[in-house]
Amino acid sequence: MVALLLVTLLTGQSCQDLLTEKVITDIGNDYINSPVGLEDAVKASYSYLRAYYAQEMGMTMMQMGTDTYTHGADGSYKKWDRYESNLDGRDNWVRTLWREYYKGINTCNAVIARGPNIKGINDATLKTRIAEAKALRAHFYFVLVQHYGGLDLRLTESEGPITAITRSSEEAVYTQILADYTAALPDLPATSGEWGRYTKLGVEAMLVKVHMARATRSFGGGSADFAKAEQYGKNVINNYGRALVTDFSELFQLGNDENSEAVFSIQFSYDLLTAGGYGNRWHLYYLMEYDTQPGMSRVLEVGRPWKRLRPTDYTYNIAFANRTDDARYEKSFYRSFYATRAGTFPTFLDKSKSAITVAIGDTAIYMPGWEMPAAERAKRPYQVYTPSMYQEKQFAVLGKWLDPLRASINEVRGGRDFMITRLGDIYLNVAECLIKQGKAGEAVNYINPVRKRAAYAGHQNAMEITADQATMDFIMDERARELLGEGHRWTDLKRWGKLVERVKMYNTNGSVNIKDVHNYRPIPQEQIDLVDGGNANFPQNPGY
Amino acid sequence: MKKTGLKKISNVLKRRIRNNALIRSSLGLIFLLAGFQSIAQITGTVNGDEGDVLPGVSVVVKGTTIGTTTDVNGKYSIAAPTNATLTYSFVGYIAQEVVVGNRSLINVSLVTDAAALEEVVVIGYGTVRKSQMTGAISTVKAKDITDLPLENTQQALQGRIAGVDVMQAGSKPGTQPRVVIRGRRSFSAGNDPLYVLDGIPLSTGTGDINPNDIASMEVLKDASATAIYGARGANGVILITSKRGTKGKPTVFYDAYYGASKAINIIDFMDGNQFAATKREAYRQANGTIPGDDLIFTAVELESIALGRSTDYINGLMQNGSKMNQQIGFAGGNDRSQFYMSLNYYKDNGIIPGQDYNRNVLRVNLDHQVSKTIKIGLSSFMNYSIRNGESFNPLGGAMRENPLGKPYNDDGTLNFLPTEDGLRSNPFSELVDGALVNQRKSNRIFAGIYAEWDILKNLKYRFNFGPDLRNDKYDNFQGTFTNARRLAPPAASTANGNVFNYTLENILSYDKTVFGNHKLNLTGVQSLQRDNTEFNSISVSGIPSEVQQYNSLGTASIIEGVSSSLSQWTILSYMGRLNYSINDKYLLTATMRTDGSSRFGRNTKWGYFPGAALAWNMSEESFIKSVPSIDLMKLRVSYGAIGNQGIAPYQTQGLLSQTQYNFGNSAAFGYAPGTIGNPDLKWETSTTANVGLDFSLFRGRIYGSLEYYNTNTKDLLLSRNLPTSTGFSLVTTNVGKTRNAGFEGTISTVNVAKSNGFKWSTDFTFFTNKEQIVELAKGKVDDIGNQWFIGQPLSVIFDYEQQGIWQTSEADLAASYGGLPGEIRVVDQNNDGAINADDRIIQGSGVPKFSGGITNRLSFKNFDFSAFIYARLGQSIRSNYHTSNNTLFGRYNNIDVDYWTPTNPVNKFPKPNQNQESPKWNSSMNIFDGSFVKIRNINLGYNFAENIANKLGMQSLRVYTSVQQPAIFSSFISKYGGSDPETDFDARLDGNVTPAVWSATFGLNVKF
Repeated sequence: MVALLLVTLLTGQSCQDLLTEKVITDIGNDYINSPVGLEDAVKASYSYLRAYYAQEMGMTMMQMGTDTYTHGADGSYKKWDRYESNLDGRDNWVRTLWREYYKGINTCNAVIARGPNIKGINDATLKTRIAEAKALRAHFYFVLVQHYGGLDLRLTESEGPITAITRSSEEAVYTQILADYTAALPDLPATSGEWGRYTKLGVEAMLVKVHMARATRSFGGGSADFAKAEQYGKNVINNYGRALVTDFSELFQLGNDENSEAVFSIQFSYDLLTAGGYGNRWHLYYLMEYDTQPGMSRVLEVGRPWKRLRPTDYTYNIAFANRTDDARYEKSFYRSFYATRAGTFPTFLDKSKSAITVAIGDTAIYMPGWEMPAAERAKRPYQVYTPSMYQEKQFAVLGKWLDPLRASINEVRGGRDFMITRLGDIYLNVAECLIKQGKAGEAVNYINPVRKRAAYAGHQNAMEITADQATMDFIMDERARELLGEGHRWTDLKRWGKLVERVKMYNTNGSVNIKDVHNYRPIPQEQIDLVDGGNANFPQNPGY
Repeated sequence: MKKTGLKKISNVLKRRIRNNALIRSSLGLIFLLAGFQSIAQITGTVNGDEGDVLPGVSVVVKGTTIGTTTDVNGKYSIAAPTNATLTYSFVGYIAQEVVVGNRSLINVSLVTDAAALEEVVVIGYGTVRKSQMTGAISTVKAKDITDLPLENTQQALQGRIAGVDVMQAGSKPGTQPRVVIRGRRSFSAGNDPLYVLDGIPLSTGTGDINPNDIASMEVLKDASATAIYGARGANGVILITSKRGTKGKPTVFYDAYYGASKAINIIDFMDGNQFAATKREAYRQANGTIPGDDLIFTAVELESIALGRSTDYINGLMQNGSKMNQQIGFAGGNDRSQFYMSLNYYKDNGIIPGQDYNRNVLRVNLDHQVSKTIKIGLSSFMNYSIRNGESFNPLGGAMRENPLGKPYNDDGTLNFLPTEDGLRSNPFSELVDGALVNQRKSNRIFAGIYAEWDILKNLKYRFNFGPDLRNDKYDNFQGTFTNARRLAPPAASTANGNVFNYTLENILSYDKTVFGNHKLNLTGVQSLQRDNTEFNSISVSGIPSEVQQYNSLGTASIIEGVSSSLSQWTILSYMGRLNYSINDKYLLTATMRTDGSSRFGRNTKWGYFPGAALAWNMSEESFIKSVPSIDLMKLRVSYGAIGNQGIAPYQTQGLLSQTQYNFGNSAAFGYAPGTIGNPDLKWETSTTANVGLDFSLFRGRIYGSLEYYNTNTKDLLLSRNLPTSTGFSLVTTNVGKTRNAGFEGTISTVNVAKSNGFKWSTDFTFFTNKEQIVELAKGKVDDIGNQWFIGQPLSVIFDYEQQGIWQTSEADLAASYGGLPGEIRVVDQNNDGAINADDRIIQGSGVPKFSGGITNRLSFKNFDFSAFIYARLGQSIRSNYHTSNNTLFGRYNNIDVDYWTPTNPVNKFPKPNQNQESPKWNSSMNIFDGSFVKIRNINLGYNFAENIANKLGMQSLRVYTSVQQPAIFSSFISKYGGSDPETDFDARLDGNVTPAVWSATFGLNVKF
């Protein structure tokens, strides 16, 4: 009685009401049914892109175990380079990519299904948002299908725990991806006010990729797919007012994320509140251990060396063999390290002298990328590291992703955008499509602009190629030069059917174990274990 | 049986008395006082109330130490002044006093002490005489707490109560040990017991309670005892009763101790030479050669090697700790009002600089008889505590730091970057005052208010209201010269957690004796508890000036995070209990409780939890009553169901998660489906069957309890994994079953009790619990992803099994597994020629097979001595020292292990390798046997004689000295040079734990 009185006084509620749970801090699921909720769900769909791109996961899955890059000294994912037996369905990245991208897909499904029923939203806006969700859904499926093959083709939002799940064919997934992208295309603006959203430009560029990938699949359309990809590629090049940047260096200049060549980029910024724990982290992975070297210490201007990836000898000696005409080695690699400590230090790798004496700001290490003779090195007051000295900790450093604008030296969350594709990439894709259709003569028109742009001043003509040189082998090397470390290599090798061959040829770590089965990644074991019927309904990829 | 037993004891006693005669008489002389007029020789016989003669009865002249004991025929002889009083005492009997007067023959008959068995035990919503207890309940009394320097309530339970596991890794000041009663039942709903302080269930722990204010702690273990707390009783209930005032002259008491502590069993790390040798080995090339030092070491390392400079950061950082406790209190009252007040200050300065804890508690307990039938009272405390270093430990940095650095500049100042390593900085820099703050300030106000109304003679109403308000403020600051910032501008954060929790209860109880010897007690309870938890935090970086620390977040240049939240839950309960006894011989308890929880779905809010217990006081039956050696023999059985609601609120709802993105430079926060709700969530239910035996033999010489129980838990609140292609990984559902079955015993013996005051008693507790998973989401199928296995404890160590190290002669076989000589070789369990996830096996768990404690107490005249030994046996641990501080990478300092080299083909630790951050399969080498025996406490006290205390103006004075944890016995220490292996059930021994300590304490207890 007294108690009941007190209850009423304290809460102003009857006893039964007390047990009703009201959500206050969090937002309930119905929010998406409102105009602003729908907008937020679309924004949320974009955020899942980040789980893969510009993270260690993407670095491992796109660059490791290829002909251009092998593992460095550090990290727990060398098995991806070595294709070892413990790269199986329990691997962290195998599971994380699947999980995070299906979260994105589920969010897109919510937008696509609920959107049409929402009142009070401008029709044009609604159309655009649903088209964006379709493009994003296609995007998630495209990344997944390239790695895993056939998938759970899930096109409706999951409500309640679902376990009756089967595995669709790879072909069905490609069909759906093309359906989504083509459905989105007419409803999107050509270019958008908000940089980073899906536009017609982005969709057409992705359609190039999807058709090219499908063309080489057993169920694919071959030349028909290449022809479609060619057409979309030409649209990208001609219809949107985009242009190759004049100087190759501009592509990865800090603050030049929105350059004229960028087609579709994953967005990052230096406002850490919007980083969501991600940030562009690729500044970490290509950097060698410079900070323990004589005269050096760790500085923000250079970065934090996680030494995950080092170039293979193929990259030094074959892809970038021409350093006279082609400026891309110089413009892709970070070659001079400036002293941050003054004094006399015993030399480390360059034994052409026993010690160097440097003042702060002097060159401490120079890495020319070619085998400079000892006599020449001895003349220099700094150490010269040449390819024969390279090992797992010290190697040529790809400079494209270094990010000295981060908040502090050991901050891992960088703010650079991550270009999924750029015009240079699309030029070479169109060239590839043309070669595949036997039109090498025309392909030259899409290769030479890229090569001439890459030339040292006065060497443009030397960079030009002729129709007989426009072969697939040339394309493979050219893409290594133009797009080194930009995240295309593993899917390129897979598309070309050259993954096993070229890894065996050029990647000594990967050559031991790689087999044809490695053209697909394992399906996450938990997915197989948790669906009804297990492996019978959701079979693991062969070989895992 | 009784006769021979007693005869033996009396013979032993006689021998000892002879030996002590000299000491007795000399002591007697010393204390012989002038007031004794004439001395007479008195003789007599002492009998028991059943007519038998009692040998070994102590006969003492009151107020002196002059005394003797009765012989085997119960006879005694003693010299005493005529005005003296003789005290006759014997275990199990009520002591008797007789004034000598002019008599020379005094025969005495002692009456059996039933009161020892008639101790009152606190149970949920009431009390019961011990002999009438039907449930499995164990008690810790105030004396066990006050006599020792205890830091928290949990410590008082460790090893002293069978079935209760109290676990604490390391010695970080302010750490609250984890308490688990009778094993774990639940994966996600929590396994912590419910604490009830003076009738009010606590929602925010017992860390703020001053242990010296505790009168008793009762641990309710079986379903019958805990069913009364239905909703939250599944993990056992610990009832804490605080001290209250009593009628009579007010007393003032002062208790204090001071102690010094030192680290015990620190793991040995490498010095400069050892590290250099390891680094050279790490650079060994494939062809077996090691390059010159100039290709291995950096400039500063070369300098250190040349100078022979090596820095021991660990010992340089560690300090002697200290513990101090002071308490002053007042208690007293008259017929109508009683009070108890105390003020306590406790301070623990850890062995690591920057880690300390201090607690200030004021307690006020009041009782007042308003009228003949109405009584009101208060049980309250206020707390203010400050804890530093809760989530920061500079030791980790010191353990990693390369010993070949240069910690000081030539001018003697600290060198922030002792090496070229880009991740490391000088661990000593973090000890500079103000460089780093990690502080939690807590305030708590708890008030249990009650009113009691005797409505009728047998009918009583009680009202409880218990508001509990707690505020925690966490402040962090990391200056420029810390490893976390490493020369970047300072960062800071502050967070506030605010909990307001209140309980309201209406209790009706009815007590009546019917049909002559039938006693009936009925209790009805209606209870409501509501909790409101608010939280807010902000973290920033770019604080302009170090002196601002965390006090001016607004001036920071970057805001890294801002958040706030509110979470509420409510429980509404109705409970009824019937106690019925016939002739005190046959006892029945039946309870029924129903609880409604806001955390569950609309249709499943309410849970119903019945319980019943039967007890049979066999010793009241005539056929046992005739056996004089049996004082008490009581058999108990109970069966009941109890619930667990321990999931976070809002699990039944489908919620959205916030996401972060940006388009160009504009932020793009979004919301995506985050959780799948489950509107059918309901209570987890544990059903326990318990059989217990309480016994007391030979007039209290041997007494104790034995229990066997079997607890089945079903409808586990389990985060069930979903195929992640649904867009969700987890959904909380009621699936799965667990079982805990165990045997536990508490046995106390009085080994020696002599007339001269020498007494030796032993308390022995032990228990063994088998915790196992019975069913999971897919039935009796293992869930390897979560490492849950049917028939195994709730957590196990599941990993590759180390077979040794690949030796040079095994190079070819090693290569087939992708290994090299010197690398760890793990067992290919399925012999498929490759090592992958299928080769992992279960290698023990953190759950002990046996735990127990032995306390030996000796007292002689004014001295008291106790020694407490605690053991946990049969569990395994994962020593993260052996992974995170054993990378053999040549970059960070390493524990000093005997690693493999071509000329040192050992089989445990692999070869160092500069090109890997940690050895492949390194987690296989951190699994160890975690069994240990600890000497927890040795305590020696001296009670000053009353007259001396009186002369000093005191009622009583006791001084004591004690040593805590002087020794730990464990193969992990003796064989592997490890540290204290005590961990939680998760078996994780953190590589950056604050090391365990031993300490020496001096204390005093004074009453005025």
